[in-house]
Amino acid sequence: MEGDEAPLDDKAKRMRDLLSSFYAIDSSSSHSTATLNHHALPFNASARYATLDTINTASFDADRYMNLLVQKSNLDALLQRHFEMAAEIKNLDTDLQMLVYENYNKFISATESIKRMKGNIVGMEANMEQLLEKILCVQSRSDGVNTSLHGKRDHIEKMHRTRNLLRKVQFIYDLPTRLGKCIKAEAYADAVRLYTGAMPIFKAYGDSSFKDCKRASEQEVSVIIKTLQRKVLADSESVQARAEAVMLLNQLNFPVDNLKDKVLKKLEQVLGDMNLESGEVAQLLDNFDESSKKEIVPELSPENSQTVSTREFVEAARAYKVIFPDSREQLIRLMKDLIMKHFEVTQRHIDQQISSTDLLEMLRSIWNNVLVMDEILPEAAFPELSLKGARVAVEHFVTISFSRLLLNITDPLTKLQRRQEGLGEEYSFQGVLEASKKSVIQDSMSVLLDFRQLLEENLGLLLNLNKLIIEWVHRGFQDLFKKLDDQFRSLSGLNTLAGGVTEGSQSEKVLPGIVLVMSELSIFIEQIAIPRITEEMAVSFSESGARGYNSGPVFVSEEICHTFHSASEKFLHLYIKMRMKKISAILRKRFTAPNWLKHKEPREVHMFVDILLQELKVIGNNVKQILPQGPHVKHRHTDSNGSGSSSLSNSFNNDKLSKFNMHRTRNQLLETHLINLFKQKLKIFTKVEHTQESVYSTIVKLCLKSLHELVRLQTFNRSGFQQIQLDMQFLRSMLKETAEDEAAVNFLLDEVIVAAGTRCLDPILLDSPVLDKLIQTKLAKNSEEIQVSP
Amino acid sequence: MQGGSTGIGYGLKYQARCIADVKADTDHTSFITGTLSLKEENEVHLIRLSSSGTELVCEGLFSHPNEIWDLASCPFDQRIFSTVFSSGESHGAAIWQIPELYGELNSPQLEKIASLDAHKSKPKCILWWPTGKHDKLVSIDEQNLYLWSLDTSKKAAQVLSQESSGILHYLSGGAWDPHDVNVVASTCKSSIQFWDLRTMKKTNSIEHGHFRSLDYDSKKKHMLVTAEDESGIHIWDLRKPKVPVVDLPGHAHWTWAVRCNPEYEGLIASAGTDSTVNLWFASPSRDDLSESFTESPLKRVDPLLNSYSDYEDSVYGLAWSFREPSLFASLSYDGRVVVESIKPYLTRK
Repeated sequence: MEGDEAPLDDKAKRMRDLLSSFYAIDSSSSHSTATLNHHALPFNASARYATLDTINTASFDADRYMNLLVQKSNLDALLQRHFEMAAEIKNLDTDLQMLVYENYNKFISATESIKRMKGNIVGMEANMEQLLEKILCVQSRSDGVNTSLHGKRDHIEKMHRTRNLLRKVQFIYDLPTRLGKCIKAEAYADAVRLYTGAMPIFKAYGDSSFKDCKRASEQEVSVIIKTLQRKVLADSESVQARAEAVMLLNQLNFPVDNLKDKVLKKLEQVLGDMNLESGEVAQLLDNFDESSKKEIVPELSPENSQTVSTREFVEAARAYKVIFPDSREQLIRLMKDLIMKHFEVTQRHIDQQISSTDLLEMLRSIWNNVLVMDEILPEAAFPELSLKGARVAVEHFVTISFSRLLLNITDPLTKLQRRQEGLGEEYSFQGVLEASKKSVIQDSMSVLLDFRQLLEENLGLLLNLNKLIIEWVHRGFQDLFKKLDDQFRSLSGLNTLAGGVTEGSQSEKVLPGIVLVMSELSIFIEQIAIPRITEEMAVSFSESGARGYNSGPVFVSEEICHTFHSASEKFLHLYIKMRMKKISAILRKRFTAPNWLKHKEPREVHMFVDILLQELKVIGNNVKQILPQGPHVKHRHTDSNGSGSSSLSNSFNNDKLSKFNMHRTRNQLLETHLINLFKQKLKIFTKVEHTQESVYSTIVKLCLKSLHELVRLQTFNRSGFQQIQLDMQFLRSMLKETAEDEAAVNFLLDEVIVAAGTRCLDPILLDSPVLDKLIQTKLAKNSEEIQVSP
Repeated sequence: MQGGSTGIGYGLKYQARCIADVKADTDHTSFITGTLSLKEENEVHLIRLSSSGTELVCEGLFSHPNEIWDLASCPFDQRIFSTVFSSGESHGAAIWQIPELYGELNSPQLEKIASLDAHKSKPKCILWWPTGKHDKLVSIDEQNLYLWSLDTSKKAAQVLSQESSGILHYLSGGAWDPHDVNVVASTCKSSIQFWDLRTMKKTNSIEHGHFRSLDYDSKKKHMLVTAEDESGIHIWDLRKPKVPVVDLPGHAHWTWAVRCNPEYEGLIASAGTDSTVNLWFASPSRDDLSESFTESPLKRVDPLLNSYSDYEDSVYGLAWSFREPSLFASLSYDGRVVVESIKPYLTRK
């Protein structure tokens, strides 16, 4: 069944295709399918489709087709094909017939409708003619009405014009009184409106018909102008009223410019006055501040009243801006002046030392004012101007802070230096040292705190400055310490070595104590101040990002530490050097002056010992005041190997001395050699430390060594030798209590005596009873002097 | 410290202060040294560095009548030298000649060529004409400066001229300018005086601390090195005598002697009473650095190349070898001569 239906459908479809191809101009689509089928033919076993399709194509060749068909098909197939073909043709015929019928029907109905239309149109023409007639009638009638009313209308129009004129004349005549009324009612705006309305008339006829009227109204207007002028100049009036007045004056063609000038001049004056005032106020309030610092008076902080006046000014400016819109430039100039003046005042205050809070307060008030000003005149770029000003002010503040810090640190020293001429050497170095130390730490901390406040402040003025401030602070500290180093140098006279003055003339001027103070101060800076400052800076002034901003010097604590470390060493050595210079001079004099070969028998300890001890005492005082006490180790030896040698060397030296007595000088040198061979080498010159004991004993040792060397350069007779022996013994008893490195001191004293013995033609030691006696008398004499002197 | 074992030692019998390089001996590195003993018979030792360079050999031992305070070798005759001596209160200065064939004699005597006996006060030092054969000598005593004419063949010396240093100026030593043979510098209490030998007048002076020793830089004109008791070592540019060009720390105690190396510019040896010999390198360019070094202490190089500290006593004698400029001889008071080589430090500069 399905097989039957499928060919039927197929058939219908083919029909439609055929018909459509018949009507269609382009048969390409069917042709293409045909060719497709034609091509597919050899593969397709069903010849029925192939033949059918080939028939349908345009290039159908009947003979060939027939040949092909005959050749390929058998009889049955040909027969069947024949039947099929006949049926198909039949079908096609009926279809054609049906189509023709349909077309014919449509044609008939169309002709019918055309016929009907023709009948309908015939009645319309008469209706249209009727309409035209009626319209013409209406037109003629309306023309009639128009002509009859024309005369009356002209009359009415004339009357109306006259009436308007009359009203205007009335208005002019009424104008003065109206103006008067307006003045009374203070409705100046109305008055001005009325007057300006009347103006053209006055201009045209003012000289003839309305003379009186014009004069009267002008009088009134002049009254108005005066009132308005007064109003403009009066500060008590509201801004709007004044602005209105100016506008009205403008409308009255009154020259406003000189009024404006007047007003601005007044403003300028106010500005001048105000700044004077503000300075005074600030000063007054400074005093006030000092007197009542403890009380918290936020309402009356120094800037408040200043702000009030500034506010007033700003308000006035704002008003004037409204009043005189074209006065912008002048106002900008004035305001700029005001800002600059504010910064000047700030600068002055900075010079007079203010805290960062005060500075911030001032900057804040300036900023507030600037913001207000900016609101009024945004095009004037006040914020930029004030930022610049703030930058300068803050930089100034930083610089001033640092220079003040430097001054605080060095001040005690310079004062001391200056004062020394009168006071001599007995002066409290300790106080100076403490003061300087304190200022180093506390002042630099407070300075840092100040700067931190600046940094933490969220003020718009300072926001952009943070990096710069950090940089300034870094640079400030760097400079501070560099300058401090320089100052120390110049105070100590060290830089004069490279500067131009010889050291000889300097050393008399510089107080050795100061050098020692500076040495100690340098240590303090190196070990305590710098680490603390660095720590503090690391917390709040870390320069991440600030680097590279400007390749200026940055605070490098290691470098500064190094500088001060070497400085402290240098000063310590300088101190010792200076002291030694004086002592050496004394010693040299002692040893070069007399003829040691003709020395008389020793009767007492020589005076130079007293002088020497005096010097040492001064040094001891210095040292005790300034330097810290070292770890208390009596009999300290620099190296562990010297531990036993004090007694050893003592006994050795005693031996040596006794050998002189026994006149066994023959092999003396050989023995010294031997002693030196076996003895642990006692180190005399050790590194100087920053302790009382170290410095003092270093000086004592250097002193004795100098003695030693000087003795070696002389040749003595017996008495000279004995004198040396006596002096040394006495020194020994005096130094025993004070010197730290007793072994070394003893050793050196012995060395001096031995050296003198070597350089003596006849070395015989004093008998110990005589020696003791002489020393005792000297001691007694000394104690007497001590008792007498106080 | 370091360097102690590198030196070649030689022991004198007695204490001694002075040692000098025998400049005229071109075949060997030799030094001459004299002892300082008050009571014993003093000796002059002629020491030669063995050809292997490992030991010091006594080439001659001569007795000297008095203790020797200063000794200088003649620059043109290796057998001639001068001494300044004293015994007790008497003192003098003389030119000596080492006898020929001394090697064969057991205890040869020095031959005195001339006695410089015009001195009115204690003589301090004798200076030979800096280089080459010349008959001029300068001797300095405490108060005067003498210019001598020496005839070695006739064995006679004559005072050509003399000049007093002035009151209160105690002369202590001197040096002859190798660049300008008309100039002699002398140390006095707290100044250095410069003398023009043609006029015998003082031409210039430097006032500073207490000078102990001075030496001209033989390589660089106008450069003078001085040692002072307290202030260490200074290098002066004589064209700018107000301020020293370089300031070296010197020694822990006094710096007794300074000597410039005859070959290597800027190398200075100093001997001190702290029983050390220090080797310094003051670079020539330090003139410019001296101002900037205050600003960057980190960059500063330590001018001290080495400190030889293997001495038992103060070192007073110091002499560079002219023949081998990398060697110097030092003499400590206990009579020990040590010859050190500075070669290990030469590369460092």
